[in-house]
Amino acid sequence: MNRIRGSALTPAIAALVIFLGAAALASTNVLTTRQEVSEGLTCQCGCGLTVANCNHPNCIFAVPIRDKIDAMIAKGMSRVQIIAFYRAQYGEKILSAPTTEGFNLLAWTMPPFVLILGLGGVLLTIGRWRRTARMTETAAAVADASPGAAVTHDHDPALRRRFERDLKERL
Amino acid sequence: MIGQLALALALLLAVYSIGANLYGVTRSRPDLIASARHALWAMFAMVTVGIAALWTGLLTSDFSLEYVASYSSTTLPTAYKITALWGGQQGSLLFWTWLLSIFTAIVAFQNRRRNPGIAQWALIVMAGVACFFLSMLNFVTRPFEILATIPANGTDLNPLLQNYWMAIHPPSLYTGYVSATVPFAFGAAALITGRLDDSWIRTTRRWAIFSWFFLTLGNLFGARWAYEVLGWGGYWAWDPVENAAFMPWLVMTAYLHSVMIQERKDMLKVWNLVLIGMVFGLTLFGTFITRSGVISSVHSFTQSGLGPYFLGFLITVAVLYTTLLLSRLGRLRSTAQFESYLSREAAFLFNNLMLVGIAFAVFWGTLFPVLSEAVRGVKITVGPPFFNRVNAPLALALIFLMGVGPLIAWRRASASNLVRAFASPAIIGVIVGIAAFTLGMRQWYALSAFSLAAFVIATVVSEFRRGVAARGHMVDERPARALVNLVAKNNRRYGGYVIHVGVVLAFVGIVGSSFFKAEVKQSVKPGESFSIGPYTLTYIGVDGSETAHLETERARVEVSRDGRQIATLAPARLFYKAAQQPATEVAIRSTPSSDLYVVLAGVDNLTGLVTFQVFLTPLVFWIWAGGVVMALGTVMAMWPNVREREAIATALSGAAESIGSESARGSAAT
Repeated sequence: MNRIRGSALTPAIAALVIFLGAAALASTNVLTTRQEVSEGLTCQCGCGLTVANCNHPNCIFAVPIRDKIDAMIAKGMSRVQIIAFYRAQYGEKILSAPTTEGFNLLAWTMPPFVLILGLGGVLLTIGRWRRTARMTETAAAVADASPGAAVTHDHDPALRRRFERDLKERL
Repeated sequence: MIGQLALALALLLAVYSIGANLYGVTRSRPDLIASARHALWAMFAMVTVGIAALWTGLLTSDFSLEYVASYSSTTLPTAYKITALWGGQQGSLLFWTWLLSIFTAIVAFQNRRRNPGIAQWALIVMAGVACFFLSMLNFVTRPFEILATIPANGTDLNPLLQNYWMAIHPPSLYTGYVSATVPFAFGAAALITGRLDDSWIRTTRRWAIFSWFFLTLGNLFGARWAYEVLGWGGYWAWDPVENAAFMPWLVMTAYLHSVMIQERKDMLKVWNLVLIGMVFGLTLFGTFITRSGVISSVHSFTQSGLGPYFLGFLITVAVLYTTLLLSRLGRLRSTAQFESYLSREAAFLFNNLMLVGIAFAVFWGTLFPVLSEAVRGVKITVGPPFFNRVNAPLALALIFLMGVGPLIAWRRASASNLVRAFASPAIIGVIVGIAAFTLGMRQWYALSAFSLAAFVIATVVSEFRRGVAARGHMVDERPARALVNLVAKNNRRYGGYVIHVGVVLAFVGIVGSSFFKAEVKQSVKPGESFSIGPYTLTYIGVDGSETAHLETERARVEVSRDGRQIATLAPARLFYKAAQQPATEVAIRSTPSSDLYVVLAGVDNLTGLVTFQVFLTPLVFWIWAGGVVMALGTVMAMWPNVREREAIATALSGAAESIGSESARGSAAT
């Protein structure tokens, strides 16, 4: 039974990883709205926020850029094209997220890498603990089957008392 | 002068308490242990004198103090003179230290007779942390610096901080940060003393929930502040300082789940110690980020040269704690076993993985600009697009696990268990997804999120229903009475479920407000109208007013829907005279379905044109409603149940007797 569960778990985890990966990729497909474009650009007024979020009412950078973005969207430019336009003008510092090339790729790959590493660690640890549990179960079964073994786990009076106490406390 | 003297005395008392406790514990000298405890109470009294002195300076506008001159003014309203205490570097550090001294004094009181040995070491750790903060206040960033020339007026509190949410956001967050020191100190004490059972976890369970509660409130209040004050229609910008507050919350959430496994199955001992160490380290890291200026942030008002000291302290703590942990690894091995991947234990482990995975992603994204600058010489920005894309799928997985955890069996779930427990919630989730699709929702992420949210809420309802049915069957109670008794007897468990509902509501609000937000920017003259969603906004006019503190231009906008006027909103532009800074005051009409958020973006007095920026943000209401539900659930979980109330009553009567006999001995001695 455990083997069956184990074999079912592997494709389930693989499906989960694929699902999460697809989720990450699909979230890149966004509509071209001013909000979406301006969130991709960092305001250069020194506020440290994106063009969408700059909180200076009369910001000399964010306010005119927002209007220009509206005009570019009206011309039919996509989010990628508008951001590329501003990147060519101001350089990488204007982007609000790392590019997916060179050293910056590390920014994107490290979190999933660590997550997969963690997942591996969790699965290995659970596997090790399960082996220990199986060995203990086998040893207990051998002990129960041996002559003179009067008390089985199912009829352990201490366990039964604990169960009854828990039931009384919780209900 | 009195204040700085009090802080110097507080530092001496903290150092003395460490020495007395060390000597008392190692040489079995109860008199010295008691003396160390009294020193910690005196330290609290001295820090209280210090904070009272600074508050007095602020309330009396004593501009001879540099801090008061920098963060207050004669016209600043009294409420903000009080909150100016945490509006600047030295004041906020003093406030932090004061909270630490309060919690240290409480821990010293709570453990007069409890946890001998381990409590003294925990107090040594807490006093050590207090020594660091008091050293900063005495030698590096003194709150009572005197100006050579006294100005006629102060430069005022940053206008962004002159808001009621800022009156409660920093204290909540600091309370959450600082109270995390208690479980950390007990964890470290367990490692030092070698008492590695779960007693340190049980002793500090409420402190951990208390810390989580205030971290939750701090994050929510901060989000609400950003929503109301910053005027961009959002509430979370993945700013480094926001991230610094979010990371300890994530890891503390993981810890609160993980300790349940240790309490129940004596497992994950190392992991729990690692988690609580991470929480404490992240609180220091957050303070380092806020105050160092290493990473540019919208919260730059507290930047200073404190960064290297905090970094040094953080590294020292990390090295000492890791060394201690490694030295005890052999004794931390679990004795219990794990039976199946399909069990509640496994669900908790995956939940921990997701929470810590999100915390790592946030940490990595926050630090990457520094790394990029160090390696390539290019300081890039890592903003919302990165964090949203990396964390969005993890958040879905986490919500799914939140539904699985409460219903899956401990030890091992069989196929029939799973079908019985999850069939109804899963069907409800699918129905909600199909309904949303039928109603026109096409964003797959939002569809998944709403389906999962329905699934989780259904699991919680199912768990309550099963508990009530079981009670009704076992002790023959009516459903309402059974529900009350069920929750009263298992308040930690059912409080936890209520918290889950709160988290899901907030998640629904986040998804709704992120995916379906609409925005309009419109310049209009009086009497002209424009529309957003189902609303029509008509600009009526603008009024000006002036006080000694600020100038206000307030517009009046009538909001109608289906031809019927439903509200009048009044967004404003403010100009703070002493600070010489402008600010906006947004007007919000909030309903459970959406928020109409109006910003007065500009007034052209020559043409009479007024520009409005208007956002229609669906479901944002549920973020705050979810916060309230989370708070209720936390109070439920922390509330002592019948058995604990009896134990507390016994402990208190014992304490009263012992205090009475101690004072009688004191009177006899004098």
